Amino acid sequence: MPIDYAALAVGDTISDRKILLCSDSVERYVAAVRDESGVFDPSDSSSAVPPMAAAAFSLRGVLDDLGIPRGTLHTAQEMTFLGEVSVGETLSCTASVAQNAVRGAFRFIAVVMDVRGADQSLVMTAKSTIVTPV
Amino acid sequence: MMRVGTELRAITRTVEQADIAAYANAAGDFNPIHLDDEFARSTQFGGTIAHGMMIASMLSELMASEFTRDWLTTGGLKIRFRTPVRPGDTVTAYGSIKGVRGGGLGTRVTCAVGVRNQNDEVAISGNATLIVSNAAVRTGENSGSTK
Repeated sequence: MPIDYAALAVGDTISDRKILLCSDSVERYVAAVRDESGVFDPSDSSSAVPPMAAAAFSLRGVLDDLGIPRGTLHTAQEMTFLGEVSVGETLSCTASVAQNAVRGAFRFIAVVMDVRGADQSLVMTAKSTIVTPV
Repeated sequence: MMRVGTELRAITRTVEQADIAAYANAAGDFNPIHLDDEFARSTQFGGTIAHGMMIASMLSELMASEFTRDWLTTGGLKIRFRTPVRPGDTVTAYGSIKGVRGGGLGTRVTCAVGVRNQNDEVAISGNATLIVSNAAVRTGENSGSTK
């Protein structure tokens, strides 16, 4: 069912997902962004995962649950990394609305995310601002 | 030593449409503004643009390369996407240390970071912060490299 964006209120939970950081998906991500930092070691089955990979996978679930319309733009991003995450770990990502405002022909939606690791400790917080046509 | 004004080692890449498609597949973000040229031509951008998070990954790579594990466990990034990156653009991620403040748990380092294109237009601007262990500061690890 399409989401009524006008009805989204600050504090509403819009996404609650589990994300498995499997080796294949992390390797695909690292190859796509050509990350040469050395954080990810494909020969290590419990290698650290680049934090932006975890952020991108978390954001994907949120955007899927929001059902954003074509042409939506991502205008700002904040992230705080609080703990290392590893290949094979399952993250829990909860997202809620932090802002929902219309200015002119555009709607500005800010979403805050809490991402927890396998032991339920907070490993990342994030805030994404997207702009959709009204 | 970690000093204000120290420049981090920049990263430069050329972004092609194939890279954008690879990122879409890896991140699961299939917004047509990134992939569908016909759709993208009808927007204010006049063509496809790269995902903001794809370009922002260069900043995290920059910080992880300089500060290793400290970035993974204490890093923070606050950025704005300003100018879209288009297929064929050559972009450079850059940063410099703008604040160093000691404390009991470690030294808080603040860096001005950004990404600019081949025309010197700023695609992303913002700040990155992290806590570096005081031992690492004393021994000169994670000191930020000069170009």
